Amino acid sequence: MPTKQAPTRQAITLKGSTNLVTEFFKYAVNSILFQRGVYPSDDFHMVKKYGQTVLVTQDLALENYLDKILNQVNKWLLTGSVTQLVLAIISKDTRITLERWAFDIKLVNQEESTVESRAPKHEAEIQAEIRNILKQIVTTVTFLPVIDEPTVFNILAYTSDSADVPADEWVDTDPLAIEASKSQQVKLRSFSTDVHRIEAMVAYRYEG
Amino acid sequence: MPIAPSALPSSKNCSTGPTDSSNPFVSRPTSRKPSPTMRTVSGAIKVTRELTRQANRGVIRKGGVESRMQVVKYDYVPLPPQSKEALKRSKSSASLRAQAQFNGDRFITTRDVNSLAASLDQLAIQPESASPDYTARLAEATGIKLNGRILSYHEAPPIATEKTLQKQREAVAPLYARPRSLPSFTGAVTTKPRKILTKPEKVLDAPGIIDDFYLNLISWSSRNVLAVALHDTTYTWRVGTDVISDVGGAPQGSYVSSVDFSNEGTLLGVGMGTGDVEVWDIEAGTRLRSMRGHILSSGCGDGSIWHHDMRVPRHKVMELLGHSGEVCGLKWRADGELLASGANDQVVKIWDGRVGDVAEGSRGHAKWTKRNHTAAVKAIAWCLWQPSLLATGGGTEDARINIWNSTTGAHLHSLKTPAQVTSIQWCPHNKEFMSTHGYPTCSLMIHAYPSLERVGEISDAHDSRVLFSALGPAGDVVCTGAGDEVLKFWRIWDAVKEKKKRELKESNPLTSWRTGLHTIR
Repeated sequence: MPTKQAPTRQAITLKGSTNLVTEFFKYAVNSILFQRGVYPSDDFHMVKKYGQTVLVTQDLALENYLDKILNQVNKWLLTGSVTQLVLAIISKDTRITLERWAFDIKLVNQEESTVESRAPKHEAEIQAEIRNILKQIVTTVTFLPVIDEPTVFNILAYTSDSADVPADEWVDTDPLAIEASKSQQVKLRSFSTDVHRIEAMVAYRYEG
Repeated sequence: MPIAPSALPSSKNCSTGPTDSSNPFVSRPTSRKPSPTMRTVSGAIKVTRELTRQANRGVIRKGGVESRMQVVKYDYVPLPPQSKEALKRSKSSASLRAQAQFNGDRFITTRDVNSLAASLDQLAIQPESASPDYTARLAEATGIKLNGRILSYHEAPPIATEKTLQKQREAVAPLYARPRSLPSFTGAVTTKPRKILTKPEKVLDAPGIIDDFYLNLISWSSRNVLAVALHDTTYTWRVGTDVISDVGGAPQGSYVSSVDFSNEGTLLGVGMGTGDVEVWDIEAGTRLRSMRGHILSSGCGDGSIWHHDMRVPRHKVMELLGHSGEVCGLKWRADGELLASGANDQVVKIWDGRVGDVAEGSRGHAKWTKRNHTAAVKAIAWCLWQPSLLATGGGTEDARINIWNSTTGAHLHSLKTPAQVTSIQWCPHNKEFMSTHGYPTCSLMIHAYPSLERVGEISDAHDSRVLFSALGPAGDVVCTGAGDEVLKFWRIWDAVKEKKKRELKESNPLTSWRTGLHTIR
């Protein structure tokens, strides 16, 4: 990871932080797609990342699709245009949103400009926090309702008006929200680099 | 002078005064009857200039509470975008509305129940229709971003494969399993059934081969020479070439009953029906013999087993008594520690292999005696990678393969097979063993160890009982012989090309067994 952890303990740069965040999204999305059974489980293989094994898809089409999306998200992060990334899991037949995984992106304000600001965060610490989130995603399977039907997913990016959006690649859509009376929300752990703060939350559709 | 309530849109000018009779709530002394009925087009106020001015100040002092309610009603209901030009930006959006288009009230914005979306639309915050400050406060309170966009990638994600396709993939997965790499001795055990070639690799004519269960007429040396006894003559064939030579003949009227090579493949012991054993020239013993190093053991028709030492003129060095039926299976363990014998009395005996002067009374007795079989035990084989394992197979009545631990005497496994077991061969590099069978299947079966799963079967390998088998020095091809006078070579296992595997402990360098390698005596 290109964090500038030089011997002088320089703070992490914006570029390094965005790369970290983008990578986190990639593994989080892959984990969610695997755990919720959106894609068959033998499409995934294990890699070592963040000090544990995580599952990444082997399906080339899906990998390319995610890469294109995440590249754009990376660019937006650099300019600070994207505020939220949502992975919506939708039933294939009925087109009802079943789950909504929302990742809030906040910029960490460094109000104090003095040198005595808090020491830069260790990469290991950030990794530990990411590890915790990924583990938590796995454990959500205990309370999330079982999905039996085939599903598809959609990634939504909440950007500001001023964001530079390639018009032919990204279109405006509706938020794919879960029906308000049937939505339950669970807030998950968050992690932060020195530049970004990512908060995770899952909303799922629950009858009765 | 307009009397009726006006429903004109964007009519700002009305020349009515406060005593305007158009207001249904204002009682007038005129004869105009008040209309108490609720009009759907409610709140049609004649907007005068006076009214407008008052509206601008935020208050309309005319009328009762109801009129003020009307003011409030319009506060947050936005105008449809079409009539934008008629809209005035004011503190209270009490300016006129397009009444005709609007038939809702404060509580239900539209009475048209079919257009829920429309009502939601009208509820939506539209910055143009409300004060910016108010909108900002509302946005902050609800968390909705006003100036943000929700974007989605223009392509849909790739579809996952369907469940049925996935089930199909699972079903065919065994067909596409890669052949297992040869395991080391702690390596993987073969459990999956694999494809065994059911056609023999080579077929040789063997005219005159005797169809007798109790004979052992083929042997394959570690030097890749196959010896076959056809009736009364023994032939050797160098495998792969066409060199066939004649070893010798039995005395007139008799037949060769068994052949076996020594470890090094230099000596061939030939047993005759008369009881003679030839090692090129030495005679003794009878029907069956097995060689370990310099010791030739032969099992006799009377049930005794004789040990002959090749090096000594008085070659008979020991006798093992114990069997009451003719000995039909005899095998040394590869390291020479133990000798296993099976006989027609349905008993398997494991003997201590030490012979010679150190003999005491105990040596003459079998170490273990197993009576589990219910038929003659001809098939005996020592496991090549785990020296303590012994597999024995019973005859027609029994048709079982029993696996023993020769160190503890424990009965480890018992495998029922469909036909009499005529011989067993262990694979040196896979954890499998092969058994040949007689009536009724006449087949070769390959089993995995220790799971005892059937890895493969070649049924009807021969037209009659498969009586004899020998494993080639490379551990890949098995030669089987039967009463149908044909020798067939089957490629059952893959040969191990490289790697000398020192799998067995060597107690005595002279008696060590190394498949494919030679030791110098």
